[in-house]
Amino acid sequence: MKLVQYIYRNLYVPLLILLTIWAYSFQRVIIYEINDETNTSLRNYKNLIIKEMLSDPNQIKDHADVMNRHFIREIPAEEADVSKDEIYDSVTYIEIEDEYQPVRVLRTSFLATNGIYYELTIEMSTVEKDDLIRTVWWSILILYTSLVCCILLVTHQAFKKSFLPLFNIMEWLKKYHPGKPVPPLENETVIEEFEILNSSIAKAAKRSSQLYFQQKQFVENAAHELQTPLAVCINKLELLSENPDCTEEQLLEIADLNKTIQRIVKLNKSLLLLSRIDNDQFPDTKMIRINDIVKTILYDFEDIFQKDGPQLQLEEKQVLTYQMNEALAFTLLSNLIKNAYLYTPRNGKIHILIDQHTVLIENFSGDETPLDTDQLFERFHKNTKHHDSTGLGLAIVKSIAQLYHIQIKYTFRNGHQFFLTFP
Amino acid sequence: MLHQRITDMKILIIEDELSLRQTMIRSLEKERYLVESASTYQEALFKISDYDYDCIILDIMLPGGSGLSILEELKTLHKKDSVIIVSAKDSLEDKIKGLNLGADDYLTKPFHLAELNARVKSAIRRKQQSGELQLVLENICIYPDKHSVFINDNELILNRKEFDLLYYFVTNPDRLISKDTLAEAVWGDYMDQADSFDFIYSQVKNLRKKLKTAGALPEIKAVYGYGYKMVAE
Repeated sequence: MKLVQYIYRNLYVPLLILLTIWAYSFQRVIIYEINDETNTSLRNYKNLIIKEMLSDPNQIKDHADVMNRHFIREIPAEEADVSKDEIYDSVTYIEIEDEYQPVRVLRTSFLATNGIYYELTIEMSTVEKDDLIRTVWWSILILYTSLVCCILLVTHQAFKKSFLPLFNIMEWLKKYHPGKPVPPLENETVIEEFEILNSSIAKAAKRSSQLYFQQKQFVENAAHELQTPLAVCINKLELLSENPDCTEEQLLEIADLNKTIQRIVKLNKSLLLLSRIDNDQFPDTKMIRINDIVKTILYDFEDIFQKDGPQLQLEEKQVLTYQMNEALAFTLLSNLIKNAYLYTPRNGKIHILIDQHTVLIENFSGDETPLDTDQLFERFHKNTKHHDSTGLGLAIVKSIAQLYHIQIKYTFRNGHQFFLTFP
Repeated sequence: MLHQRITDMKILIIEDELSLRQTMIRSLEKERYLVESASTYQEALFKISDYDYDCIILDIMLPGGSGLSILEELKTLHKKDSVIIVSAKDSLEDKIKGLNLGADDYLTKPFHLAELNARVKSAIRRKQQSGELQLVLENICIYPDKHSVFINDNELILNRKEFDLLYYFVTNPDRLISKDTLAEAVWGDYMDQADSFDFIYSQVKNLRKKLKTAGALPEIKAVYGYGYKMVAE
C-alpha cells in the first residue's frame, strides 16, 4: 500500500463516522428548532384566541383556516387544568386535500367569562418532518461526498507538495549503490524533519561507501598479502623435492602438501575474483560470441575430461552474442561446464544447448536427487562428493550473471539443468 | 654447450621478502646463472645503474618505492635488460601497465620455480636477437617460435600439448617437476581438481614414446606419485 493510499484510508473512514454523527445531530437540532418555533407560535396563538374569547363570548366557537384550526369543548371544572399546556404531534384529515397532514397540537383549558370551563385544542399545520429528515439526509450525503472529495483533493495536493523531499530521497536511494559513484543528494527543503532525514541519509550513505571501500580494500590486500608467503611455501617445497636425498615417501608427503597449498592458492584467487566481480572491476566489455567461447572451453577440456569421459552433445540452434567481459564470459561458462564434467560419471551424458537467448547445460549422472536450490549458489556451499572443491565456483557464476543481468536457473528433470538466460 | 653460455648470464632479483628471494636465488643458481639480489628500491636503483644484467626479476611492491619506477628508470638509462615482473597483483590492468612500461613478462605470485625458470630462459633467449633462437638439450633442438622440434636434425611432429610439455622439460632439465606444476603450465587455471591427473600421465606417456622412437638422448623419468624429471645423459 502506498503512503498516499494509507493516508486516504485513515482519512475517509473516520470522516465517514464523524460526519454521520454530525449529520444525525444536525437533523436533531433542526427538528428541535422547528418544534420549538411551532410551540412558541402555538402558545402565542393560544393567548390570542383566549384573549379574544374572553372579551367576546360570541367568539367561543370552532374555527378553521389553511394553517390553523381550533376546537372548543365544554368540560367539567374538575377536568380542567388551566396551568397546563399539552403539546404533541398528530395528524389530521384534510378533506380538501383528501389526505392526512402532520399537525402540531396544543391542548389547554380555560375559564371563560361565563364561568364555564372550556377545553381549547389548537392544531397547527407543520412541515412534513419525514420529508424534512429525508431532505436533510440527502443534503448531508451530497455534502459529505463533496466534502470528502474536496478533502481528499486538497490532501492529495498538500501531500504531494509536502512529501516531495521524501520522494526525492527515495529516488536517490534507488540510484545509490555502495561502491558506485552517485550524484550528491540535492534535496532543498524547509521542513525540518526532512532536513534531518537528508543529512542522516547522506551521512549513512557516505559511511557505507567508506566501509564498502575499506572492506574491498581489505579483501584485496589480504588476498595479495597471502600470495607472497604462499609463493615461499610452494618454492621451498619445490627446492626440497629436488634434493636428491629425498625419499619416495617424503616426495609423496611433499606432493600432498603441495596439493593443499594449491587449494589455498585457488581459494585465494577465487575470493579475489569474487571481490573484483562484485566491485565491477572488469570494465572492458565487447560483443562475445558465446558459441565460440563454449567451443573453446570444450576443446580445452578435451584432454582433461573427455578421454573415456561422459558422452558430450553440443547443440547450436542459434548464434548467441552478448556484450560482456571476455574473461568473465569464459569463467562463467567454464565453471558450469567443468561442474557438469566433474559430477557426471563416465557412463553419463552431458548436453549443451545454445539458443538465441539461452544456454542450457545439463548433465545426466544417474543421480536422482535434485540439488538444494537455496544453497546452490551460496559461497562455500559444498557438495560432499568433491572434497577438493573450493565451494566458490557457482558463487562466482552467480556474481558474473548478476553483474551482466543474466538470469541463472537450476532445475532438475532426470538430470541437473542449468539455464542461462541472456536478456 | 647451452650450459656453457648460461654461466655468463647475470640475473638480478629485486624482491623484499627474504625467504622468497633466497629460494629464487637458490633455484636460479642451480641453473648456473650469476645471481645478484636487491631487497629495497634504493639498492635496486643503485645496482641497475651500475651494472648490466641479462634478466631482472622485479617485484612491484617494494619498500621505498614502486617497482614500476625502476622500469621507468631502466628506460631513461637506455638499458636493454630483460625484465620479468613478479607481482601479487594478477589483474589484467596491472599486467598491461607493467608490460606497457617495458617489462618483457609478468608472473603472478605464487608461482612455481620451474615456471620462473622457463620464463627467465625465454626472456633471455628473446633478448639475444643475433643469436640462435632455438633451445638445445643434447640432441633435442626446439624452435619455440615455429613450434617445431628436431631430433638429430629430423623433425619430430608433436601435438600442441606435447610440445608445451617438452618445452617445459627442456627449459628445466634435471629438475624434478611436480604434476601440478606441469598441469598448470600446460593446461592453465582449469586444473584445480588435483586428483584428476590421469590425463597428464597419458600425455607424458605419449611424449616419452615419441621421443624414444625418434632417438632422443634425454629421457623423461617418472618419480612415483610426484612428477617427472628430464634427465640428460
